[in-house]
Amino acid sequence: MKKLSVWLLTSLVAVLIVDCANQKVPAEAAIANAESAIAPIRDAAQKYVPDQMQAVDAQLNSLKDSLAKGDYAAVVAGAPALTTAISSLKDAAAAKQADAEAAIAKAKDAWTGLSTDLPKMVDAIQSRVDVLSKSHHLPKGVTKDSLAAAKSGLDSMKGAWSDASNAATSGDFTTAVTKAQAVKDQATQIMQSLGMTSS
Amino acid sequence: MADDKTPAPAPDNPYTQTHVVVSGDTLSKIAQKYYGDASLYTKIFQANRDVLSDPNKISPGQKLRIP
Repeated sequence: MKKLSVWLLTSLVAVLIVDCANQKVPAEAAIANAESAIAPIRDAAQKYVPDQMQAVDAQLNSLKDSLAKGDYAAVVAGAPALTTAISSLKDAAAAKQADAEAAIAKAKDAWTGLSTDLPKMVDAIQSRVDVLSKSHHLPKGVTKDSLAAAKSGLDSMKGAWSDASNAATSGDFTTAVTKAQAVKDQATQIMQSLGMTSS
Repeated sequence: MADDKTPAPAPDNPYTQTHVVVSGDTLSKIAQKYYGDASLYTKIFQANRDVLSDPNKISPGQKLRIP
């Protein structure tokens, strides 16, 4: 009886060792596959979906810990969820990247229009301010205050326009358009205050 | 004619105000309207030298740039 027990115990241990050894290979493969799947999308994921990237990394690190501890079964069991998470990460990063690229393309188009219009608006205002500055009387609807505001507005617009141009030159078209639009709004307001919008 | 150092607006600037001449208009009257000062008619004349050869000769229907 005792012999039988020893034999059974030995057999059980042997089965467990074989089983464990059988899971080591797929566990290591699962980690390697996950790392291979993450590598090409890591940069985009960190840029566009950083929280989701962080969650996937945490999931991966947890399985790597299990692998290091020899808990291959946990790795094998957790691998499908990680695979699903990586797939979602890839899709989310691609979608966000597409959105961002579309926004940049839209901003570039807007910048093209603004960069054509704004210098002309500023030139037109500058010409009018130069002439009105020489006038002995201001036209109906234009006050000394509005002329003074137009003069100071020209200075601030030129500064803001320079900032917008610098942003565009550095490739930040979203910032460039935001700043340029503000300049255009200000220019429109000044043109109205100087009576330049009617004939 | 008065001295005029104001650069003429670019002919293709869509933001330069324009005035369509009507019967009875003179450059002085137009200058009075837009600048509040009739003596500044020369600014308008200089800005429209491509269509005006004489500040005293403008015709109804002419579209003038008002710098």
